[in-house]
Amino acid sequence: MRSLFRRENRLGLFVVAPFAAFVALFLIYPTLVVLYKAVTPGGTLGTDALQRALSGTYRTGFINSIALSGTSAIIGGIVGILLALTIKSLQRPRWLHSTLDSWSAVASQLGGVPLAFAFIATIGTQGILTKLLMNVGIDLKEYGVSATGFWGIVIVYLYFQIPLMFLVMMPAVSGLKETWREAAAIMGASPARYWRAVGIPILAPAALGGILLLFVNAFTAYATAYVLNSGGALVPLQIRFLLQGNVITGEEDLGNAIVAWVIALLLTSLLLMTLLQRRTLKWTSS
Amino acid sequence: MSMESVTALAPGHGDPAGPPPIDRGRRGVRPSSFIRWAFLIMVALYFVVPMLAMARFAFQNVPTALLTPEKIFTGWSMSGLWAALTDPQILNAAKTSVLLVVFAIILNLVLLVPLAIVTEVRSPQLRPFLTAFTLLPWVIPPIALVVGVAATFRATVPWFLASVFSLVPFYALWAMPFTYRALDAGLQAISARTLYEAARSMGASLGTIIFRVLLPNMRASMIAASGLTAAMVLGEFAFASLLLKTTLPTQMVTYERSDPRGGLALALFVMLLTALSLGLVVRSLRRRGLNVQTTGL
Repeated sequence: MRSLFRRENRLGLFVVAPFAAFVALFLIYPTLVVLYKAVTPGGTLGTDALQRALSGTYRTGFINSIALSGTSAIIGGIVGILLALTIKSLQRPRWLHSTLDSWSAVASQLGGVPLAFAFIATIGTQGILTKLLMNVGIDLKEYGVSATGFWGIVIVYLYFQIPLMFLVMMPAVSGLKETWREAAAIMGASPARYWRAVGIPILAPAALGGILLLFVNAFTAYATAYVLNSGGALVPLQIRFLLQGNVITGEEDLGNAIVAWVIALLLTSLLLMTLLQRRTLKWTSS
Repeated sequence: MSMESVTALAPGHGDPAGPPPIDRGRRGVRPSSFIRWAFLIMVALYFVVPMLAMARFAFQNVPTALLTPEKIFTGWSMSGLWAALTDPQILNAAKTSVLLVVFAIILNLVLLVPLAIVTEVRSPQLRPFLTAFTLLPWVIPPIALVVGVAATFRATVPWFLASVFSLVPFYALWAMPFTYRALDAGLQAISARTLYEAARSMGASLGTIIFRVLLPNMRASMIAASGLTAAMVLGEFAFASLLLKTTLPTQMVTYERSDPRGGLALALFVMLLTALSLGLVVRSLRRRGLNVQTTGL
């Protein structure tokens, strides 16, 4: 970094300064203010707000959000890995790999309002699938599936979670070399033994990292949850409530405290993910 | 090993050791192959059915409760979509969103193109900082930053948040990770450093190098970054909604409340448009061999 300030690197400084100022003003400054306010509720240093942000309805919110994000991350992660492995093993329709690759890049960016609408038309009370299944005697509600409930939201989130996992896993899965499997087979290892001793240990860091990313992705999703169930007890919806409602005096630090916890949770997940990714790189960069 | 080379290695032609045609036919009914295809078809159904359900709801004017097999072909019309597309408030919101896209792209390219070039050709020591920076938007997502913005800018510079274009810097911020990744991938693909040194040793000025050597070569990655930014901005709901700004996604939710059919038709239309343009961007990138991560990681 110091070399930036040397005479011949004036250009570098000239280019870095606007970018750094921009990030500092619009990202770092508001974030630091929130974190500062979270630990100084009412103007004095204290953990009062931080504690209240994890009690009562807000505690429920965190538990619900973590359960929802965790469930959708694990299911999405497993399906995404299986999809990547299936695509790798099926080499025959040559268009399959590239089509799925492009499709995943697109679908992982979808989400938000239109996606919620699509699932309301599918598994909502007036949804076409709800009605079709009703005709054959299956009531989705009896299985706890409605577009506004826990499993409904999980099903909706999977729409962008599965493609994201596929994108994250494909490089690692491609890194599994065919020669390793052949070598294991020649030495008499069964397919199960090959997976236990070679496949799973190599894929595990990438898979865990991917699932953490999916967790973060689902935890911060707002639009879909808002359209499906705006009164739900999920952290993003509670932040909206605190931000828009006429909050009672003394409560304004609660929103800051919740955001502080969210940032801590996301930061931990992403740091873990980065560590796991480094392990993956060892295998895929060769 | 990149994904490209894996696809290229797939057998199919020029593979003398490949199985004879009869063998292929037999392999097609192997149980494991059957399971794979069954799995793929199930996943495909999961992705296709909601889109079809949405299209039916949007374009068939028959309530689901009254839908019977005889009525499958009745009541189809584009009137809902047409009404939504000609709604003055939707048009206004769409105009706002398009302007937000344009401004966010310009701001991003102005800030990041010079930075990406300097990092690649002159100051590689900046790279770790930029890589760390690309994780920041995941740590501070819209739903978290909006609280900070409300706590700071709303109190100190209220005129700033009064305009809908106050969203531009924040949208640019969330688009920065994949913009930087796309630019960086583009620079590495053309070996920018070698080009820079070659041009320099032949006495080219800095301006000549940037405008006649590097920038023309970065067109593909700039287009890719712009496409991804556009998709991000056209889909962003949380930040705009919580700051009470009217953009296309927020207006879509309002519109759907008064006209569900038209609202869904509009949502499907916007989603297809986004998906198509994004798909074209991704495909053209893959064809050029640029391994751009659309996730921005």
